Order: sequence, then structure tokens, then C-alpha cells
Amino acid sequence: MASSSHLEELTRPETVVLRLRAQLGNHALWDAILILLPPVLASLWATYFLVQGAWVSPLVGTAIAILANGFGALAVTLRYRKRIPKLPQAAQLVDKRAGAKDHFLTLATIDPANCPEPLLSRLRQDAEELVGRVELTRDFPYKVKTPMYWSAGSSLIALLLLYFLLPVAGAMIHPVSTSQRLRQLAEKMAQAPQLKELAEPLKTLAAKLEDTKIQPEEKQAAVKELEQKIAERRKQEDEKKNRDLLSQAADELKGVEQQQSAGGQEQQKNQSQGGGNLQSNLPKEGQGEGKQSQGGGGADGEGQMSAQSSKEMEQGKSAQGNPKEPGQDKNQQHQGDAKGNQPDPNQPGKELNKDRADKGQGGSKEGSGKNQSSEEPPQSAPPAERFYQAGEGKDGLKGARYVTVQLPEEVAADGKGESKATKEGTGKQRRSQVPVSNVPLPAHVPNAPAEKQQMPIEYRGIIR
Amino acid sequence: MEPERFQETFKRLEGEIQKVIVGHDDVIRKVLIAFFAGGHILLEGVPGLGKTLLVKSLSHALGMSFKRIQFTPDLMPSDIVGTEVLADNDGRREFQFKQGPIFAHVVLADEINRATPKTQSAVLEAMEEKQVTVFGESHVLDSPFMVLATQNPIELEGTYPLPEAQLDRFFFKLLVAPPSPDQLREILKRTTGADVGECAKVLPDDGGKLVNEMKLLLRQVMIAPPIEDYVVRLVHATQPNGEQSGSSNGSVKQFIRFGSSPRGAQSVILGAKGNALAEGRVHVSYEDVEKVLSPALRHRIILNFQAEAENVSADQILAEVMKQVKRN
Repeated sequence: MASSSHLEELTRPETVVLRLRAQLGNHALWDAILILLPPVLASLWATYFLVQGAWVSPLVGTAIAILANGFGALAVTLRYRKRIPKLPQAAQLVDKRAGAKDHFLTLATIDPANCPEPLLSRLRQDAEELVGRVELTRDFPYKVKTPMYWSAGSSLIALLLLYFLLPVAGAMIHPVSTSQRLRQLAEKMAQAPQLKELAEPLKTLAAKLEDTKIQPEEKQAAVKELEQKIAERRKQEDEKKNRDLLSQAADELKGVEQQQSAGGQEQQKNQSQGGGNLQSNLPKEGQGEGKQSQGGGGADGEGQMSAQSSKEMEQGKSAQGNPKEPGQDKNQQHQGDAKGNQPDPNQPGKELNKDRADKGQGGSKEGSGKNQSSEEPPQSAPPAERFYQAGEGKDGLKGARYVTVQLPEEVAADGKGESKATKEGTGKQRRSQVPVSNVPLPAHVPNAPAEKQQMPIEYRGIIR
Repeated sequence: MEPERFQETFKRLEGEIQKVIVGHDDVIRKVLIAFFAGGHILLEGVPGLGKTLLVKSLSHALGMSFKRIQFTPDLMPSDIVGTEVLADNDGRREFQFKQGPIFAHVVLADEINRATPKTQSAVLEAMEEKQVTVFGESHVLDSPFMVLATQNPIELEGTYPLPEAQLDRFFFKLLVAPPSPDQLREILKRTTGADVGECAKVLPDDGGKLVNEMKLLLRQVMIAPPIEDYVVRLVHATQPNGEQSGSSNGSVKQFIRFGSSPRGAQSVILGAKGNALAEGRVHVSYEDVEKVLSPALRHRIILNFQAEAENVSADQILAEVMKQVKRN
């Protein structure tokens, strides 16, 4: 009895509409899950992949996974809610399937309180006659929709792309260093029992290569040594896999060796171009302060700048030519420093005199003449002692001839402050004293002026 | 009243009229629907299509009083509604109201557009209020009361087109189309032979009571809220300044000067209810609405000059509206 009443209840037109609505709601839920599940799963897998590849930290990976899950759940809920069919829609579907003329729609949506009972019962009776034509599971089966295939397909493609492109991108963004590669090789070798003995030295070499304190020569020697060992081992090895591994290691070491030697050459070159330490403190012709500068420590920039200025000097240009250039400014500062360290207290006075004398003699001398420091002994060495000839001493030259000049008063007065020549030339260099005398340098010093100097014509009148 | 009885009576009436009128089944059905919905009909068609015969047959089948008014330019309002006349009453002379032809159950206003607007407007009160006022005294018309007006669409010279206010009072405007060859053959057979078909009286002598019961039943027919909403949207879509017409229906904006009045929506729903009952249902379906939309709204939509110039009819625009407005 109870079951028959339950059956009646189930077959009532209004109940059929409600059942269909619930069924379509379930379909909508499945649709939402099946459409959104592949992207969520793909994003979880991608996160795992990123964590495995050390692209993101596990914490970030967990956060991404939680976010992906949350977003997926939210999207499913939103989509599901939006797609739950409304009662009129479900009723219309039943009407359509049963071939009714909006019987179910009217029954499902009308307010019974406002309807005359005879008409309502008549409508219900009509609908019950039609309800037999509808079987919900048969007429409204669940179908996998096209967007689901799209979703699954696109997620799969995205995953495959990630799988294949991420290592490539990783190699491009973070290239593995030589020592890392050597370590990896060492690990591989450690797994092969025959090559175990080579794994440890390889690791040690990798550590050595990373150590900046170790000299390049030492590194190179270590590389060569291990290279030899590997070559010997390779000759003995029969197994192809091991041989391959050894060849790989040999190649790698060859590469390291080349790198090392190239690095050494470059360093040497840098040093020879002025960036390095001074080999000799003897000034060469055409070479300016670049070589004298103390900054030989190895900074490439400075080295290059020095080299450049040396070249320019060789071409007859002055290192002080363009005061605006920062490199040259720096050079000039060095110059200044160098001069400041000049042990000879009389030097400044001599310099200006010489300067003026050079200017007066014409452009040919200007290249070397303007560069006062090139005429001076290098500051690192005792200035005068090495140039002493027999009979010379700290007290002066025996039998040397002195040329004493006196400048006009206005020039002398000007010279007390910043001279015009100084302003134009160095800008920063100061010549505090107006030279009143000139001591010619010994003849063997390069660029040294001749002992007998022609006095400039303009000065001849004022020499007393 | 039982819906079955309504349907049976309706079918019989339809059948009896169809005995006389060949074809025009749809017109006959709509005339009957309008009758039971308490509305009036405007029949438009060229002369000789059986418009007058249809009205006569209807009144005969219903067994109700029938009057015919031939509208002419010199027809006066008093000729329609009646007037006070001086009468001798036992030696006393007094004014007595003499009823005009409007006092009948079924009134045929033949070629209504030939009368002057003054005369046409005399019919207005009668149609809407079901009463007439003469010299300040109101006279209630018989119930049921129905006006079936005819107009000729081709002879427009010397005619007075019905004003919009009067057009709005017609429940349906029905177009009487020329018969098809088969129908014409049948017409000839029936009318030119010795045996001329006549329709029988369907309703009993107290037919008025039955008609009122049928009218009441028609109003009780159920309509689902989504269908009601559909009607509202359809009628609203005929407004050139309505939201719906702006976005979805360009032809409404282009060709309609004024859209349908609320009375149009009432006509649609009542007509749909009548159609549902006639088909043996006690609830309105979307199809019922769509079937009565054009006759209920075609005369309530005022087209602009562009529509007339481009020969666009109201029916075309309504068909477009029905396409644009989706069912719920």
C-alpha cells in the first residue's frame, strides 16, 4: 500500500518535473566537475613538476596546489549553480518530451491557491495521462559534452608542453656551471663500481675550480692530472657505458682546461696592457701615466683605460687632452697622486718651467713634453739614486751647468695661483710654485731634455 | 460549467457557421473566441467575401437578436443609439426613448469607416461600456453584446478612417481573405444550387445565461506565470521606445509610431484562453498566445509613414517581434 502510494507520488506530474530538475542539476554538477577537473589536475601536476625541478619551493608549490584546488572548487560551484535548470525549464523539457502543450509548465509554476479546483484537477488529470510518455533516465541520459573533451585535450597539451619545454627553458635560464657538471659526472661515476675511484677526484676538482683562492696554474695542473688519469682509465675500460662516461668527463675536463688557459692568457694580456703590475718602473717612450698608475690590481676597466691612454700617447696625443672623459679624469687623478708622492720637493717648480719650454718648442715635443710624469722617475723607485752618475749625489751634480731663469712678474704672480696652462690642461692638477730654475736630467734617462737647452726667445730678454 | 461542455458548444457553433461560410475557419473561430471573451470584432476585407453572411450566421447560430447598421456619411449618432421621440400616452404627450439598432445582441456595423467620426464615436460608448446615454439618460444594452464592424480596404475615397481610440476597442481585427479555388468551388455549389444551406440554432432559448457561464469559464482558464511574462514581453516589445525593441528589434523602432496599449495585452491573454478552451484545454500554452497575437495587436500598432511607404504591414512586424522575443 505504502509502495503504491510512493509510486503514485513519483508519477505525479509535479514530482516528475522536480525529479527531472534534480537529475539535470546532477548533470550540471558532473559537467562542471569534468570540465574543470582536467585543468585543476594539470595545474597540480605542473606544480609538482615545478617543485621537483626546483623552480619553486615546496612551500610555494603547496600554496599553488591549495589555490588551484580552491579555485577549482569555486569554479565548479559557480558553474554548477549557474547551470542548475529552473523549474520552468525542466517543466518545458518534460512538456516537449511528452508532447504536451505546456501542461507540466502550468502545473509546475502556477499557484494552486489562485486556480479553480475543478480546472486544476482537470489539468493534473491531463498531465498524468501524458506523464507515461516520459521516462527520465531514458529520455534525459547524461552525455559527455564537447567542452569536456576540449578541456581534457587542452590540459593534456599544456602538460606535455610544460614537460618538454621546462627543462629546455631551465637550461637556457640557469645554465649548469662546469663544476656542477663535473659533480654530476662524479655522481654518475660513483654509481659505476669500476669508476668509483675517479668520482672522488672529480668532486675534489670541482670544488677546487670553484675556489677563488686557488691559483689558476694550480687548477690547470689539477685538471691536467685528472685528465691523464681519465685517459688512462679509458684505455683500460671495456664497458661501453663506462667508456662513454669517461669520454664525457674527458671532454668536460678539456673544456675546463681550455677555459683555464684562455683565462690565464687574458689575465696576462690585461697585465701587459697596463692593467697589471708594473714589470719595470722604467718609463717607455710614448707611454704615459697609465703604466705608472698604482691601480694595476687587475681591474679591467682601469687596465683598459690605461692602455687606451698609452696608445693615445703613442700617437702623440696627450693623456690630458679631453678632461671630460671619466677614464682620463681617473688617470689624471692618478697622475696627481703620483705627483703628490714625488719625493723631490723641487719637482713642481721644474715641471712648469719644462712645460713652458716644451710649448715653446712646438707640437713635436708636446706629446711627451706635456706629460710631465713621463719625464720623472717612477714614484715606486727611489727617484734620483739610480740615475746618479759618478760624481753625482744627493747634494747635487758636480760640475753640472745650471740654467737659471726668471719669469716676468705677472707670470710669476699668476703662477702662484692656478696657472692658465694648468686650468686648460689637467683641470685638477695644481702647480703651486713658479719654477725659477731648471735642473736637466741626466742624458740616459729617456725623454730627458738635452743638457744644453735653447732658452725660449721670449725668456731671453728677462734672464738675468 | 464544465470545460467539456464549453468545448462541445463551441464546436457546434463552429460547425453550424461553417455550414454557411466556406473557408475562413480561422476567422470563424476567432469571432467565436471574441464573442465569449466579451470583445468586438473588426472585419476587414474586400466586398463579397461573406462578412455580412458570417455575422448573420453567427447570430442565427447563437439564437440571439441581430441588427445591422449600414454606415453612410449622412448617418447620425441618433440613428444608431436611438432618440427621444414625442409620443402620445393616454392623452398626454411625453418624450419616449426609441431604441436604435445598437440595442441587439449581435450588431453588424457594415462599412463602419464610411460614417463620420461623430457617428463612429457614438458606437464607442456602446462598445466599451455596454450602455448608451441619450439626453442624459443611460440605457444598458442587452447582454451578451457584440459589435462586428466591417470595413473595405480598397474604397477609401470618401471614408473616415477609424480613430486609434476606437480601433483599440476592438478585441480582434480579422482579415477576411479571398477564398481559394477549392473554397470558391464549394461556395458556388452551396449558393447557386437549389439547396441552400442554413445554419441551425445551437444555443437554447435562454442562451444568454449559457453564454455568460461560458464567458466566466473562459476567464478562469489558467495561465502559467512564464507564459504571462511572455505576453508582457511581446506587448512591450512593440513599443518603439521600449527596452526590448531598442536592443533586439530594429524593425519596431523603424516602422512603429505607437506600440500596443495594455488593452492589447488583455486581448492577447483572453484570446489565448478562449483558444485553449476551444481546443479542450484548461490552461494557456505558448502556442495559444502566438495564435492570437496578430489579430489582437495588428490594429493597435500604429505604423509610421516609412512603414506605409515601404508597404510594411503590422503582421510582418509582429512576426518579427515573435522571432525576437524568446519563450521563457
